[in-house]
Amino acid sequence: MRIRLDPWPVDTQDGQLTLKPFAGLVFDAETDLWAAIPTRGIPERMRRILVVDGKPRMEARLLLDDGAGALSVAGFGAFVVGAVDLCPHGSRQAQLQGVSARRVLAYSGDAPLEVARLSPRNPHSGVLEYQPHAFAGAQVEGARAAVQTLMLRREQAMSAELASPLPLDETDVDALPDTLVLQDGPVRPGEAGRAVVGYVKTLHTDYLGADRIGLLTALRPGERTPVLRFKLGDRGDGAGEGREQRFTWYVRLCDAPFYQHPLAGVMRLEMHAPEDTDFVPRGVQDIADLSGALLCRLASQPHKDPRAPQNLIPTAALEQAMGRAMGSAEMVTRRIRAHLAGQYGSRVVA
Amino acid sequence: MVLGTEDATPVTFWFAVSPGASVQMDDLVVVETRKPDGQMVRFYGLVDHVRTRHEGVTFDSDVADVVAGLLPASVSYAARVLVTRVSPENFIPPQPGDSVQHARGEDLRIALSADKMKRAFPGGLLADGQVLPVNYQFVNGESGGHINISGISGVATKTSYALFLLHSIFRSGVLDSRHEGHATRALIFNVKGEDLLFLDKPNKEVEGVERGVRAAKNLPQGRYDLLGLPMSPFQDVQFLAPPREGGSGVIVPNVEQRLGGVTPFVFTVREFCARRMLPYAFADRNASLNLGFVIGSIEDKLARLAQGGDAPHLTVSDWKAETNALLDESVRFSELGEARIETFPQLVAYLDYKLLEENEGAGDRRWTGNQSPATLQAFIRRLRGVQKHLSPLVRGDLTAAQAEKYRPNILGGRFKTSVVDINRLGSHAQMFVVGVLLRDLFEHKERYGRQDTVFVVLDELNKYAPREGDSPIKDVLLDIAERGRSLGIILIGAQQTASEVERRIVSNAAIRVVGRLDLAEAERPEYRFLPQSFRARAGILQPGTMLVSQPDVPNPVLVNYPFPAWATRRDEVAEAVGVQETEDAGRDWLGE
Repeated sequence: MRIRLDPWPVDTQDGQLTLKPFAGLVFDAETDLWAAIPTRGIPERMRRILVVDGKPRMEARLLLDDGAGALSVAGFGAFVVGAVDLCPHGSRQAQLQGVSARRVLAYSGDAPLEVARLSPRNPHSGVLEYQPHAFAGAQVEGARAAVQTLMLRREQAMSAELASPLPLDETDVDALPDTLVLQDGPVRPGEAGRAVVGYVKTLHTDYLGADRIGLLTALRPGERTPVLRFKLGDRGDGAGEGREQRFTWYVRLCDAPFYQHPLAGVMRLEMHAPEDTDFVPRGVQDIADLSGALLCRLASQPHKDPRAPQNLIPTAALEQAMGRAMGSAEMVTRRIRAHLAGQYGSRVVA
Repeated sequence: MVLGTEDATPVTFWFAVSPGASVQMDDLVVVETRKPDGQMVRFYGLVDHVRTRHEGVTFDSDVADVVAGLLPASVSYAARVLVTRVSPENFIPPQPGDSVQHARGEDLRIALSADKMKRAFPGGLLADGQVLPVNYQFVNGESGGHINISGISGVATKTSYALFLLHSIFRSGVLDSRHEGHATRALIFNVKGEDLLFLDKPNKEVEGVERGVRAAKNLPQGRYDLLGLPMSPFQDVQFLAPPREGGSGVIVPNVEQRLGGVTPFVFTVREFCARRMLPYAFADRNASLNLGFVIGSIEDKLARLAQGGDAPHLTVSDWKAETNALLDESVRFSELGEARIETFPQLVAYLDYKLLEENEGAGDRRWTGNQSPATLQAFIRRLRGVQKHLSPLVRGDLTAAQAEKYRPNILGGRFKTSVVDINRLGSHAQMFVVGVLLRDLFEHKERYGRQDTVFVVLDELNKYAPREGDSPIKDVLLDIAERGRSLGIILIGAQQTASEVERRIVSNAAIRVVGRLDLAEAERPEYRFLPQSFRARAGILQPGTMLVSQPDVPNPVLVNYPFPAWATRRDEVAEAVGVQETEDAGRDWLGE
């Protein structure tokens, strides 16, 4: 028995590696030859990379009392979605784009709530404004899920809006877009036809099977596997018929240190695939070819980021900026307390 | 905008510089903050620290990722302000987010407390080309007095700045506003080289240098124009120099570079006695108590001896020629039994006779008092030590007219500025001249009061008023420092190291100026008036740049001042004066 480290710190939600076998069918899309493909580098035409991420936060759990004795749950929450705009050739400064916090008063129930406006205690700190948002159901965690959903929706809208269009047919020679969006996590419905790549930092699902996974260990930094195709939600029972098709491939960002498991430093990428075709469109092919070079450039260092190399350099900066945009959680909680105390006439404030 | 991540206090705060704006050290800024009751409070201050850094990054190596365009980061450009004034005096802190502006125009005047100055003269230019006003009431003794300048020799250009201040005081019009311009005088001791002997000559390099500086600093006008000062040399200057040694008949100033226009000065033997100059011949610091008594009593005796006559020489009756075979032949006898003392060596010989030889070695009891022969011998030995240095200065072989002509006349006459060149004198003679002239000046002012200010420029204060030990000159300087301002004598003193000068002299100076300092020196307590950041910078100041501290402004201000409009070296003198100068020199030789 050999013991190896999962590279990610223990306080992250999951390890980097779980490898539950994928139940459905996975097809070779690019080639039948299961061998490493070297990167082709980043072509000059690719001018702009946008790394999109989002961050939710719950700021207070609330109980609403309608005066007639009926209780319902609600919560003050906030989320930020933003992007880092960078040039893959390093010809200009990376910039944050659209990083601003939105605040949500998520509640269950039918009676509509008004905007909650938390006025500042002195003129030099800003107003906090919580937009009401109703969710169905009465679960305690409903508010959190509602904020999360809003964030994902916004993230997806942002990715789709920023990315270049990407024709998903076989022939277009000018397919390579000039603006590519890297989005944290798998791609989402609604982004098809745009140059959006989802990057999955963890390897929780094994799409390869025992006979093919060995190639991941053999990949050298920058190299990738051939592109595969699968159907989202395919459980092998035919129930997923008609659901979205995805392309996926794996890229190694760095050599795994000897004490970590051999798949450390491998990332899975995902893009939308056209319905029921067995070719890889030119645009997807080009993006797969440049992905090794691009991700090796963006990969972070273990001494700077505990989730290196998968947590990319711009992502870490973006996470920090998003945390800052939401403000200090402690201060916000106090403001909420002071606001409620002020509203209900008590002199007791935070 | 005032930063919220650093403490903002009523005396110091940090602010962020907006993109596109720039601020440098020494810029003056103003911030306005609103109290909860709506009242505005304005903070005026001086930038003493500026920095940039990448914000939002954690590791030093992140800079490479930022430059490579991978890591988004913003540059934070921030500056620290030392507040010089709060108006009105509500010492609340400025609020984070208050906007900070460059102080210009009226704000600048308030920042530098110029609005509190009834009379001010320009003390130099700030970094951005604006004028620093210096309160004249803190110079001329009304509210305070004296200027002290510290800095390493050569690079700190202490004398140049002292002269610039004098030029500014004389020519900026500040004197006219008090109707005292006609009677204000300056006495400058030249202790190094003959640089100051050309103050009345235009400098041929000044226009070129100033044009260069104006272009380099992108100033709207030349620096002299900005300061409102004429770019011209000193006016009404007399140059005094000690006479050359030897040369019995003609008295010629002992200067090399300047051929004409220098007046020699001498003291007569009678003046030496009557005006009690003897102590100033003993300027060394370790004089014993007994020697002090001897000096005091001999001084008294000589003064009595000099009474009742006005010839430059002394006449004594109790000294026979044969009693002193060492005397040279210049001893003349006007009558039997009377001897003339016409030279300083003769005076020394006479004292030697009175103290050690008369009565077969016992001396004259009335002169010796009860002092032991050893002390008396020490006295004579020391006097002989300085004899060589003082003999050209103290002479009795003059006519009364000559004595009158060559007596240093600093306060009378048409000259506003007197330069006394003592650089070629030995250190004993330098001390003697400085001590005697300052003492005379002080006594004169004690009699006539303060209405006319006299500025005394003296470099190397550490030599004349050292922290350790006593000397008669130090006493005079201390008197000037402590009482001079009420009498209208203002000391513009300079030294390399303020830590080696008598503390009371430095601490009495209202205006303190620091040029380039040795960094170890800058940490001494004498420079505590400089904030820490200024002390560190004092080590890198360039020539022509000074830190000026004045009582009205709580923090020192960095200024630069223009290149001298007067020649500071022989080769800087504009050529046109050559012929006239030669003629002057000829006339001097002829004794006119």
